[in-house]
Amino acid sequence: MATRRSALSALASAAVLAAPLALAGCTAGSTAMVGTGPSTLAVGLTAEPQNFDFTTTDGAAIPQALLYNVYETLVKVDSDGEIVGGLAESWDVSNDRTVYDFQLREATFSNGEPFTASDVKFSIERVQQDWTISLKSGMDVVDRVEVVDDRHARVVLSRPSNSWLRAMTTRIGAMFDPAGVADLANDPVGTGPYDVESRRRGDSIVLTRNPEYSNPESPRPAPGYRTVVLKYYADATALNNALLSGGIDVISGVTAPDSLPQFEADNRFRVLQGTTNGEVVLAFNNRRAPLDDVRVRKALTYAIDRKALLEAAWGGRGELIGSMVPPTDPWFEDLSGEYPYDPDRARSLLREAGHESLRLDLRIANLPYAVSSAQVIASHLKKVGVTVDIEPLDFPAVWLQQVFTDADYDMSIVQHVEPQDITTFGDPDFYWGYDSDRVQRLLTEADTAPPREYIADMREVARTLSDDAAANWLFLFPNIVVAKNEVRGLQANQVSESFDLTGLRRQGTS
Amino acid sequence: MRGNLVVGGALVGLVVVTALVSLLWTPLDPQAVDASVRLLGPTSQHLLGTDKFGRDVFSQLMVGAQTTLYVGIVAVGLAAVAGVPLGVLAAMGPRWLGELVMRTSDLVLAFPALLLAIMLAAVYGASTLTAMIAIGVATVPAFARVARAGALQVLSREYTLAARAGGRSRWWIAWRHVLPNISGMVVVQSSVSFAMAVLAEAALSFLGFGTAPPTPSWGRMLQESQELLAVDARLALVPGLAIAAVVLGFNLLGDGLRDHFDPRLEARR
Repeated sequence: MATRRSALSALASAAVLAAPLALAGCTAGSTAMVGTGPSTLAVGLTAEPQNFDFTTTDGAAIPQALLYNVYETLVKVDSDGEIVGGLAESWDVSNDRTVYDFQLREATFSNGEPFTASDVKFSIERVQQDWTISLKSGMDVVDRVEVVDDRHARVVLSRPSNSWLRAMTTRIGAMFDPAGVADLANDPVGTGPYDVESRRRGDSIVLTRNPEYSNPESPRPAPGYRTVVLKYYADATALNNALLSGGIDVISGVTAPDSLPQFEADNRFRVLQGTTNGEVVLAFNNRRAPLDDVRVRKALTYAIDRKALLEAAWGGRGELIGSMVPPTDPWFEDLSGEYPYDPDRARSLLREAGHESLRLDLRIANLPYAVSSAQVIASHLKKVGVTVDIEPLDFPAVWLQQVFTDADYDMSIVQHVEPQDITTFGDPDFYWGYDSDRVQRLLTEADTAPPREYIADMREVARTLSDDAAANWLFLFPNIVVAKNEVRGLQANQVSESFDLTGLRRQGTS
Repeated sequence: MRGNLVVGGALVGLVVVTALVSLLWTPLDPQAVDASVRLLGPTSQHLLGTDKFGRDVFSQLMVGAQTTLYVGIVAVGLAAVAGVPLGVLAAMGPRWLGELVMRTSDLVLAFPALLLAIMLAAVYGASTLTAMIAIGVATVPAFARVARAGALQVLSREYTLAARAGGRSRWWIAWRHVLPNISGMVVVQSSVSFAMAVLAEAALSFLGFGTAPPTPSWGRMLQESQELLAVDARLALVPGLAIAAVVLGFNLLGDGLRDHFDPRLEARR
């Protein structure tokens, strides 16, 4: 169950996907001096890590750069959201679903130490004892870890949990070496194919191939690029220009969708579009009148033409969803047709609720997707007699205080990027103000239920949220990657916390 | 140069008329979103085409003129109302008061107006009002300086000395001699400050700290068009030219007025 603080970290990371506009007219400002050549890849990203220690620093930027690339996990998610092996070659689950036996791959840390089952024990216990970020609560369910032999680790849970294995694919599942945790903020040591070579604050991070992988006898294939430079640009236009001018090879996530035609029309580039976990949500304050009335919430949902909104606000890129579930979650069900655009119905629902006209504030994060969506919403709601006062709040600080912490708002727009954040609706103190016994009970039951019931329960939660119009799920944020043609192996979907570099290679190499 | 006055006056007049007309009529609702007509080029229905929301650019431009003038008038008015008395006081009051006023205004002058506005927006929320207040406060020193310099000049003239010898009070002298004689300079300063206020509002809206959406503003039109530069430059060009025209207009008007109020300056050229 996501806690209040863990969701906060997810929100903060929303800034990653839509970094606020920086000063005008900046051009490509990155000047990392690294050798360019066929074995070097330069990737443009938006939010820069403050340090390299994701055990104590929240936010999406650090795992985006380091997870799967520098640190590896026992299991990882592939681009379809399926759990696949990472450092674990295979795993078995006991019949009562509390004992997990992991058979480990042979691997070596970048400091030369071999990876063994005792590192698994060390890493998992370290999450419980030393980590401070809110996501560590995902490890609460672990009772103990046993080292059966070097290649065999056994994890015993205190109760069955459907979410634990999936949580192991995130940063909390990262494997550390006891000798490599002295200076996590500056010197990360992992088993991944890359090692951090250098970093320039405000500019770039240089990753080089872990020497263990260059060894021809290495059991694991070497990554396609010898060197990867992660370059950071706060401004979407600067990021675009960097690719156009050849400063970078890949844009990890485009936040200016209307600028894409310039890349699509250019045969030097390829545009990939996939899904993320980021639901752009029009939040209703379920606790405050008049939005505590389900008829009003339904009316506001019928009154907004989400297809037109997606078209106008985000260039038609993204997917319509009808609940807090991205299509890559196993319990996804297409509920996007539940509230077809119907202004007449909205008007009659409002009349029924006793509101011929309404005035509501819309306190949004001052981010491009929210500002764009808000203007469309204001225009649509005006047609059903609802006046909307848009107030863009500085994100994250002011927005987090006023809307998220104090819940002082009628409606708000922000993107929720945390995987499986549907569980936030089970927390009545969350800023939704949504208090439903049924949803809370279903969510608690779901985590310990047998897998088949788990899916059914979660599906029921999603459907109940939609029936209650607990929020208006505007659209699922798209993952848009633009790359030079010769870069191969890119994934369209962004469903893990990592920008996975391991499968990338230059065209014509193997 | 009379040309400055005419061209400047014409540009400013055009904007004023546009803003006034937009109060009563625009071709289409500037805030009406329609995804089916987004990013259209100029047509007979949409004289300057539509933006990414399908809104009519021409109507937005017209209503944006209101925002621009509104911000300029309030900010410059605020600055003049506060700055001119301060400047006169600095010139006519006791020496320590004059020093205090002028050093404080140096301090404010050293502080960037945009930064002040961004700070205010962070504390009180981004709105047209906070932008106007910030721009106004930052412009006060300019008026205080002009008023003080003018007042010192007037105070050394024979007629003020005569008035003083005649036993007139300071306030009478300030009212009868100083203010009328510096009014020309204040008008010139207003015109120049107006141009700066327009630029500042556009910059703030561009950065997302000015006029809140969906109220049309030229700065925000620019910002919304930024990602479309490579796709459709028209959207940036339209508000950009409008801002340039207004700033040019007020600067020319200021120059023209200066020549008008101080003919000796023109003779020297």
